[in-house]
Amino acid sequence: MTTKLTQNTNKIKTVVTALARNQWFFVLVVLIVVSVFTHSMNPRFFRLTNILNVLERISVLGIVAAGATILIVSGNFDISVGANLGLSACVMAILIRMGYSSEVAVALGILSAIGANLVVGASSVLFRAPSFITSLACISVFQGTALAITGAQFQTIYGRFEVLGATRLFGVIPLVFIVCLVVYVAVFVMLYYTLLGRRVHAIGSNPKAAYLAGINVNANKLIFFAINGLLVGIAAALFLSRVGSASATTGQGMEIRAIGSAVIGGAVMTGGKGSVLGTFLGALLMGVIGNSLNLLRVSPYFQDVSFGVVLLLALGVTSFSHAKERRGTTG
Amino acid sequence: MGEPSTTPSPLLQVHGVSKRFGQTEALNDVSLTLHGGEVLCIVGENGAGKSTLIKVLSGAIAPDAGSVQVGEAVYESLTPAEAMELGLATIYQEVELIDSLTVAANIFLGQEPTQRIPFLVDARVQNARAREILDTLHIDINERLLVEQLSAAQKQTLQIVKALHQESSILIMDEPTSSLGLEETRALMGLVRRLRERNLGIIYISHHLEEVFEIGDTVMILKDGRHVGTYPCGEVNSDFVVRKMVGRDASAFFSREPAPIGDVAFRADSVTWNGIVRDVSFDVRKGEVFGIGGLVGSGRSELASILYGAARPDTGRIVLGNRELSLRSPADAIEQGVCLVTEDRHVYGMFPERSIQENVAVVHNEFTPCRVVGTRSEAALADSMIDKLRIATFGRGQSIMNLSGGNQQKVMIARWLLDEYRLYIFDEPTKGVDVGAKQEIYALIVDAARNGKCVIMISSDMPELLSMSDRIGVMREGRMVRVFDNDSDLNEQELIRYFMGEEENNGDHEAHTEHQ
Repeated sequence: MTTKLTQNTNKIKTVVTALARNQWFFVLVVLIVVSVFTHSMNPRFFRLTNILNVLERISVLGIVAAGATILIVSGNFDISVGANLGLSACVMAILIRMGYSSEVAVALGILSAIGANLVVGASSVLFRAPSFITSLACISVFQGTALAITGAQFQTIYGRFEVLGATRLFGVIPLVFIVCLVVYVAVFVMLYYTLLGRRVHAIGSNPKAAYLAGINVNANKLIFFAINGLLVGIAAALFLSRVGSASATTGQGMEIRAIGSAVIGGAVMTGGKGSVLGTFLGALLMGVIGNSLNLLRVSPYFQDVSFGVVLLLALGVTSFSHAKERRGTTG
Repeated sequence: MGEPSTTPSPLLQVHGVSKRFGQTEALNDVSLTLHGGEVLCIVGENGAGKSTLIKVLSGAIAPDAGSVQVGEAVYESLTPAEAMELGLATIYQEVELIDSLTVAANIFLGQEPTQRIPFLVDARVQNARAREILDTLHIDINERLLVEQLSAAQKQTLQIVKALHQESSILIMDEPTSSLGLEETRALMGLVRRLRERNLGIIYISHHLEEVFEIGDTVMILKDGRHVGTYPCGEVNSDFVVRKMVGRDASAFFSREPAPIGDVAFRADSVTWNGIVRDVSFDVRKGEVFGIGGLVGSGRSELASILYGAARPDTGRIVLGNRELSLRSPADAIEQGVCLVTEDRHVYGMFPERSIQENVAVVHNEFTPCRVVGTRSEAALADSMIDKLRIATFGRGQSIMNLSGGNQQKVMIARWLLDEYRLYIFDEPTKGVDVGAKQEIYALIVDAARNGKCVIMISSDMPELLSMSDRIGVMREGRMVRVFDNDSDLNEQELIRYFMGEEENNGDHEAHTEHQ
């Protein structure tokens, strides 16, 4: 009887330690705690409309964060995604205003995002510079281009492209969130079940070893950036459709939130390791905290504070669990 | 040879220091004594424990047992700051100077003379004082030059000056002449002599025995982490020292099965690269294990990079089978049937965060037309390798970082066993591997040879080289100076002589002793 009991507790212990090693589990716990607390203060939180509202609001960020996860796992950083998203949305809005069909406008806007991201990746490969730096330089290039083509004006499209943003599946589920989910499933499959995903991990874990294992590191790096560009373009289309206008400042600060979501979800800044599920929960946590602060009538400025605090806590958890792992290493 | 000046108490004593790294005994009960005005030379093969001993003295690592005594104070281990404070200065091969500052600024780094206005460095005073210091040591370097304008030798000298300025009483020099020319070496020797006259204690590590006998007072010999003996330089000769450096029991050797040897299938013709590999030519036959020996830095690993397409030779030809290879990348080499188990798996081989499965399958995935991974067949491949190589693990999903060194190395080799290759290159295949796994890795290398493959094995491990190789090529300063048939006449002593370039000077002497 007692042995069985200890066996059971041991089993529970192994399950708990296995979960504790996954950062997404911590994020999930925090998510539940925040949700329950908010609900106890304001019962509107768990209403369907509120939950759908949160999911809709995190969709754009979520897609950009999925791309950021791919890049971080591959050992790269792109801090120009916000500016890139703004530029892409402006391209789409201008084309729609010029009378092009929304399909053409979105396709060209996505192409512009992919092209812009390839500039970041290619300059990093060509100049052997960290992509963090080349993307830093690209921020002003993209923002400046957006300012020039919009003439620093808001580009409003007056309901000419609402199909993505306003559609509700079965009359309730926002289409943008469905798109976000589809992106996450695709990125998950890509990262864990394709050769390309293996290359992302290998290059991020040890680029020298990847090269010596016959992987074309530079070409693959460009592919990762192109995929990131594609995701930024999709996010830009969703954003434009939801909001109905774009300007050169659209997307500002998105990069911090996207990279932050990935890190909160357990992506390791040095590359080689990350979790798509974790990133999704990270983005969701951002949305839930923002929503909670609204419902609790806290000043919106505290949203930024809370975001920073959560990010710092996440870094602490990562560093703590890694220190543990290192101690456990033999030989 | 100047007698060590009669100082009653030694400057530095090391008592029975031991250090293990995993399965490897890097140092085992090593002791030494250093007096003021003494130059103590430490010699030993690659991996004899010289670097570990230096690291203990400089505070970079803490020993498992033993102590370090400086003057009267005894320490179980030192931190780098403590070592510096006690006057122990280590001059590493990699120069630790700041390139963008002047010579004078580097000397005074951290203790700059300030002007009356606080926080402002008084460059005039600094330059004048630097000049004085340089003059007293008869060193002809302009104190106003930027360090990046100095030659390798001048940088080395400057490091010594800096150590002296910090009032170090013990200087530890790790192969100070390895990147110096003849003239520069002479100048450095002169400086070391002047320092000895100033009653400093000097620990001097070198592979060049002629330097040891030129400036050393005592020579300490390490082998496999053990202290073989310490002798006054005047009472021994290089022959004696070489004999003490090598020579092991039969138990250190591995008796391998022979493999049938076929035709020449691989040839390198006058391969030259970047002044590091010079005009290297050799061939390897099917079923043959061609060992490459030499000191660290003799160009062995660079040669491997060239054969594997990771570096492009300036001149020379590489022929495998009937085709000349023109390799632009490792991917090219792999497609042509060349594979490489790299030295230092942590830097060049492993994906530390990733699972055994991913680490094993990476090359196979890359070169098989299949874009879907993580399937049952991939898992089966990984499991078959875990079984075949007896990799000790919880399962194929365990991350490679958590395996022992021997098992990590087996995973690195398993990577190349999923497909067939024609030329197998092993660079230090058993470094940091326990004895049991060593035997298993040897068996895998022999297997490759028995399957009619060409095998090149680079090794610093003498018994390994002698037990495994059919022939042994010795590299020194980028050249393949000699290829030996590995018959019963060849021994460690002869090899190490070629490694160190002692064969010309001591040719007559050697013949003489053998006749005795």
